[in-house]
Amino acid sequence: MYSEQNVDIIPEKWYNIVPDLPEPLPPPRDHDPENSSIDLLNRILPKEVLRQEFTSSRYEQIPQEVIEQYMQIGRPTPLIRAKNLEKFLKFNGKIFFKYEGATVTGSHKINTALPQAYYAANEGVQEVVTETGAGQWGTATALAATLNGIKSTVFMVKVSYEQKPLRKKIMNLYGAQVYASPSNMTDFGKKILAKDPDHPGTLGIAISEAVQYSLDHDMRYLLGSVENCVITHQTVIGQETVKQLETIGEKADTLIGCVGGGSNFSGFTFPFIKTDAEMIATAASEVPKFSRGKYAYDMIDTAGILPELKMFSLGADFVPKSIYAGGLRYHGAAPALSLLIRKGRIKTDEVGESQSLEAFKIFSKTQGIVPAPESSHAIATAINYCRNPANQGKTVVINVSGHGLLDLSFVRD
Amino acid sequence: MPYPDRETFQSFLDDLLGMRFDYLEIGIPTEKPYYDGPVIRRTHRKAMEGFSFQYLKEVVNISVSRGKKNYALVYYNHFHESVDEFLDNIRDSGLDGAIVPDLLTDYYDEREYLSEQFRKRKISLIPFFTSSTPDRVIIEMLDLTDGWIYHGLQPSTGIRVPVSIDKMVARIRSLCGNREIIFGFGINSAETISDLKRYGADGIAVGSSLVPYIESNDHKGFSSEVRMLQGGVYD
Repeated sequence: MYSEQNVDIIPEKWYNIVPDLPEPLPPPRDHDPENSSIDLLNRILPKEVLRQEFTSSRYEQIPQEVIEQYMQIGRPTPLIRAKNLEKFLKFNGKIFFKYEGATVTGSHKINTALPQAYYAANEGVQEVVTETGAGQWGTATALAATLNGIKSTVFMVKVSYEQKPLRKKIMNLYGAQVYASPSNMTDFGKKILAKDPDHPGTLGIAISEAVQYSLDHDMRYLLGSVENCVITHQTVIGQETVKQLETIGEKADTLIGCVGGGSNFSGFTFPFIKTDAEMIATAASEVPKFSRGKYAYDMIDTAGILPELKMFSLGADFVPKSIYAGGLRYHGAAPALSLLIRKGRIKTDEVGESQSLEAFKIFSKTQGIVPAPESSHAIATAINYCRNPANQGKTVVINVSGHGLLDLSFVRD
Repeated sequence: MPYPDRETFQSFLDDLLGMRFDYLEIGIPTEKPYYDGPVIRRTHRKAMEGFSFQYLKEVVNISVSRGKKNYALVYYNHFHESVDEFLDNIRDSGLDGAIVPDLLTDYYDEREYLSEQFRKRKISLIPFFTSSTPDRVIIEMLDLTDGWIYHGLQPSTGIRVPVSIDKMVARIRSLCGNREIIFGFGINSAETISDLKRYGADGIAVGSSLVPYIESNDHKGFSSEVRMLQGGVYD
């Protein structure tokens, strides 16, 4: 996993797509006319993270310390040709996958957790707090905090907390305090529990609790997805892929990834934005944000503490059917990604749980890698794509955003 | 304008017109000032009570007589259903042009149409850019307009998140060449102003930081705040 000779594949800079978008990115808006939630971000986020959120710079230098941490957690991640899958599908093109599951926390989430925790620690912050849906983001935050010498608290969506006890154990092992959300730790959580003690929780509620908790205890909050700076950090995925394809003399015709908040997909595809590669974003059919969501200003968190963003959204109070792929349950999608979908540059697909389970099994059997249930949605889109005779001969690259070794209860015997 | 009422507004305008500046930015009150912070938002609500085009014309006349150029700050969401009538009123008020902060973000497809409407009336559409405006949009808007450029330092007025002033100014300067660039949104210290100037800004716009003096009817504080900020401009 860790290979010294490949470290020059890790980029020196992150790429911010905003100056290269076809239209201006609609800015955040205050939810409450009496107060500025944008101003409130000063109390919630590390300063450097906030600066990167609104920067006009196309590139941001990655601090040397963060590059070293990237190497420690397994970057660059491999780009692997899925020859067995090609054979299985009788596909006469090429299928590659970028494997973010090769990081030590098992998903792409660590790519932004590290710099955010690094900046927080640099600014003298003692403790960071965040939410987690499926558990990957919480795991990444817990490790990033401990690697940077600070503490962490994680609000985990209750349904995941109950379904995935191993995730909680890993977070505890990294030193994090983990609460099931809705919890009794915040006023917002208490309010929801008073109405429904068995509320399964949503990512929107967990975000609200984490933000509220950071304000109550003067901690800093780490952003898991949706925001620009997160996507900027995640472009290490796509920039590495660009270099890896160049090294082997290949050119991507099609890029496919899954979308929860949009950070793995955007980080993977945005460095290819100036090429003519086709891009397909896959959401879960149970969370049909692209086909049924509205492109409009909506809240990021259910409590409306954070500024509103213009994005494809099913509404911040959307409670999805409890599908296994917790990372895809989020109601919205990152504004830059939403804008590019709206303009037709990025295509979309929606895949249901049974279809993604089928892809999960095919990929495990052919490639030996057990993909995350979230990533299995992207694999399902890729399988359908490669089975279409019109796409024969193409070079397809899938972002496998994480492994599913802790999600095996997904498979019923 | 007029905030909080015509009489108070005019007394502060008199103070201001005795001081050194080039352009007067006059806010046309509206119900949805999305890109303003809480301070300016509250002035919009109150000012709607006292606003009329006749009164705007009187104010502009006074300012013109003191040698100033005058520009409206108006949201497109306020007049996109009555563009002809509204822009006729703007022109007839004697204004030199207008800044329309939500044009590119909320009405992008109408940019060519609106700039044509301004051109026909011989008033300037002042392009409004922020750090989120893509390069090619900036280049295209420069072709559609003439006159100076308004660049937002912050995501909305009256708030302050950390920004790299040097990189922001260098980027917009590299795209705008010699066009005059004025920075606004969240500017309240002589230090920020002198940084902006050092890196190549041609001017600054202030608003939110003066509102509290108007609200407490503090003419002395108002004048000294303006002078403090001017310290950054004219040092």
